[in-house]
Amino acid sequence: MASEALVYVVDDDDAMRDSLAFLLGAAGFTVHVFDSAPSFLAALPNGQSGCLVTDVRMPGMDGIELLKRVKHANPRLSVVIMTGHGDVPLAVEAMKLGALEFIEKPFEDERLVETIRAALTGAADAAHGEAATAQMTARIESLSPRERQVMQGLVEGLSNKAIARDYDISPRTVEVYRANLMTKMQAANLSELVRMAMRAGLLKD
Amino acid sequence: MEGINHFEVDSGLSHAHADASVTSAGVGTWAFDPATRSFEGSLTTHSLLGFPEGQEIVFETLLSRIRDEDARRLAEALEAAADLDVQIRVLRDGQQHWLRVRGGVVGTTDRLSGVILDIDRQKTVEEALRTREEHLRSILDTVPDAMIVIDETGVIQRFSRAAERMFGYTEQEAVGRNINLLMPEPDRTRHDDYLDRYRKTGERRIIGVGRIATGKRVDGSTFPIHLSVGEMNSAGRRYFTGFLRDLTEQQRTQANLQQLQSEIAHVSRLSAMGEMASALAHELNQPLAAISNYMKGSRRLLAASPDPNAATIKTALDKASEQAIRAGQIIRRLRDFVLRRESERRIESVGRLVEEAAALGLVGAREAGVLLRLHLDSASDLVVADRVQVQQVLVNLLRNAMEAMSESARRELTVASARVFDGMVEISVSDTGPGLPDTVLAKLFQPFFTTKEAGMGVGLSISRTIIEAHGGQMRAETNPTGGATFRFTLPAAA
Repeated sequence: MASEALVYVVDDDDAMRDSLAFLLGAAGFTVHVFDSAPSFLAALPNGQSGCLVTDVRMPGMDGIELLKRVKHANPRLSVVIMTGHGDVPLAVEAMKLGALEFIEKPFEDERLVETIRAALTGAADAAHGEAATAQMTARIESLSPRERQVMQGLVEGLSNKAIARDYDISPRTVEVYRANLMTKMQAANLSELVRMAMRAGLLKD
Repeated sequence: MEGINHFEVDSGLSHAHADASVTSAGVGTWAFDPATRSFEGSLTTHSLLGFPEGQEIVFETLLSRIRDEDARRLAEALEAAADLDVQIRVLRDGQQHWLRVRGGVVGTTDRLSGVILDIDRQKTVEEALRTREEHLRSILDTVPDAMIVIDETGVIQRFSRAAERMFGYTEQEAVGRNINLLMPEPDRTRHDDYLDRYRKTGERRIIGVGRIATGKRVDGSTFPIHLSVGEMNSAGRRYFTGFLRDLTEQQRTQANLQQLQSEIAHVSRLSAMGEMASALAHELNQPLAAISNYMKGSRRLLAASPDPNAATIKTALDKASEQAIRAGQIIRRLRDFVLRRESERRIESVGRLVEEAAALGLVGAREAGVLLRLHLDSASDLVVADRVQVQQVLVNLLRNAMEAMSESARRELTVASARVFDGMVEISVSDTGPGLPDTVLAKLFQPFFTTKEAGMGVGLSISRTIIEAHGGQMRAETNPTGGATFRFTLPAAA
């Protein structure tokens, strides 16, 4: 692994920060930890590539604001957003702002490690991008037109009821479509569905 | 007057003679022969009818000076050659005067004879009375309260227009019937006894007091009324006047208010639970995730270990971290279940939201000397919001503001709204309390943070959760002039 490819962890929670450093260190990464967004920004060398793993909710500057600044100052840095409780609007916002991933705590270590590894080897955009996009597009194509409509509504943050109203069907029917499309998309939860939709270009502003 | 009513004209009496006894009373005498249609009158008769002294009263001329319908009645009465009593209006000196003509057949002849008297004053009084009565009636018809007059046996004497509307009976249908017609049981059968008891004991149970009772409409349906009863004596008889107000609307409003309050209390409890679950989820997620991370890291390090127990330890670590993840999921699901009731977002008026929240939240505000000012931008009145949730936020902010000002000399509460960037409407609640110290400001929205002795510290945290769920933001600041302002945004509907 290239020596300049570093992983930066920003989290205000001591145990979280330390345990992440331990986990990622055990996975073979070189990890630098920061207890706040400003302290990370102050130490961030320009043009540095690598991967930033940051919490969303932090006192002072939050993870979304940090994401904006990092993407502005240093677009080469990949950003993984962690959240205690992910909701759809937050996930959509993070993805739109250019986050590589949006993951909910606690998470499977394998997924985080793989994401970071892809980001650091520069494979993120290419492999993650093209292969994954093709895969997502294929999955979306397997959806029925109605399932697609429901998915569109879900990733825009609409409630089952609102979607039912939009298409003049019952909320129970929406639930059925929702369950089916989650299975077909192989999405574990809504924020994962949002990520997939982003990747497939279903959600662009 | 009594004497004149029984005035009898003696056939042998000359006009002059009879006249002398009645002139002073403004009474004239007259005689009429239907056969010749000749009309003779005394001096007073001349002046009452507007004929100069000595001029012959030609019957046709006389009739022409009397108002048409009166002239017709008089002519018919005279030509009928029978006892007569007619009131007529005569034009005299360019003015209309009321006269009363009475008379009868003289002896066995066909001739008629009688008196004529001035009843102008009586008519003026009558007119004034009628005007007053009409006036009174129009007032009674206008007041929303129904008015019903009964006699002391309970028989309806008067039934106002509002009473007609209230009960569905017309005045004609109601008058003359027992008032218990308008009551359901048990009052219906007991009302006569109530009246009876009052007549005997004079004990007042409702008169002058007023109470809530039940009315019964013509279709049999019943409704709540407020009833106040007054008593009056007229011509030696006793009457009772009842004023009735329909309370249906009032009770409905009250019920609505109560329902709204209980809705808010319910959502409040639910949100408090959700907020606690959410706070727990957040607080527990960190250590759980950390546990999971440590174990996953250990497992990775162990992968390279030659220790014979490594495989068993790895399995145990895997199982332990799975359990940590499971614990996190349980909490997250609890939070989702409680907090994410499908929110009922509709287009709502900020003015109405604030008004209703103020009605609920500012109970006791006037007594506490709190002045409420509203600066609502009517051009950006409509927002997309869950009414109950946003009202809960407003009620919370209003109550906080009131409590904050309890020690202040100046107690002004300002609620303002304005269109801000990104299609949002900002609503602010400002008080003139002591404001917020920086130490408090930093922790204000954290769950379980409170400066109140009896507070749970979830109100503002719930409020922010609600506003964020609406896609808005919430913040607090200390005013330059002292006091605190809480601002939150909601998506504008237009």
